[in-house]
Amino acid sequence: MPTGSGKPTSASLSEVLEGLLKAKVDFILVGGLAAVIQGAPVTTMDVDIVHNQSPENIARLFAFLKSIEAVQRRLDDKLIEPKRRDLSGKGHVLLTTRIGPLDVLAVIEGGRSYENLLEHTVEIDFRGHTLRVLDLKTLIELKNASTDLKDKQRLSVLKETLRQLKEKYGRRGDKEDSESE
Amino acid sequence: MSEEPKIDDQSGVDKGLVAMFLRMSPEERLLANDNAFRTILELRDAYRQRKADERKPE
Repeated sequence: MPTGSGKPTSASLSEVLEGLLKAKVDFILVGGLAAVIQGAPVTTMDVDIVHNQSPENIARLFAFLKSIEAVQRRLDDKLIEPKRRDLSGKGHVLLTTRIGPLDVLAVIEGGRSYENLLEHTVEIDFRGHTLRVLDLKTLIELKNASTDLKDKQRLSVLKETLRQLKEKYGRRGDKEDSESE
Repeated sequence: MSEEPKIDDQSGVDKGLVAMFLRMSPEERLLANDNAFRTILELRDAYRQRKADERKPE
């Protein structure tokens, strides 16, 4: 049961990621943090994931959310815990947790789900786990189609990051992250 | 000898900053973001506190 103000007490987005991986939740990291991991010099304030909606995975994700005292992110001070059915719907579940904000997304732009996005991911070794991250090329495609002002502002940075990656590692530009540097 | 400009004229993107981030490992990039995240929260709290103090009657 959440007891605080819904504000993170020891904010660390990498701890949110590590927790999800330790809890064996199947997900794809999307959004700003996916760009950060692949080298874009941007700052982001939350973790955005698209999760596998199998019943087993939803059970694991739900248990993890309980363990980090997740509550809905709201304008008022009400502390409302997410329900299991929220995670199996098609909407976005925007949460505040003890260790940082987490957005659990069933689908992203164009109705793309976990299964649709899998082929556009890169796998990164992270603290002994394999982290699936939406690749930079697809992130750019999504931001290109976005009407969000923040996305438009970031687009140039993402494009320059991909350009430098391609210059360094060739066509795909995502080789280095699967290797130690 | 002319050097490649670090800031892109059209987009305003700092190419040197991108190159610096690309030299870091994914873990280092995450930690850099975590540090920025915590600093922003701290600054926001300080700003809110300042505003609250200003509103207090003398």
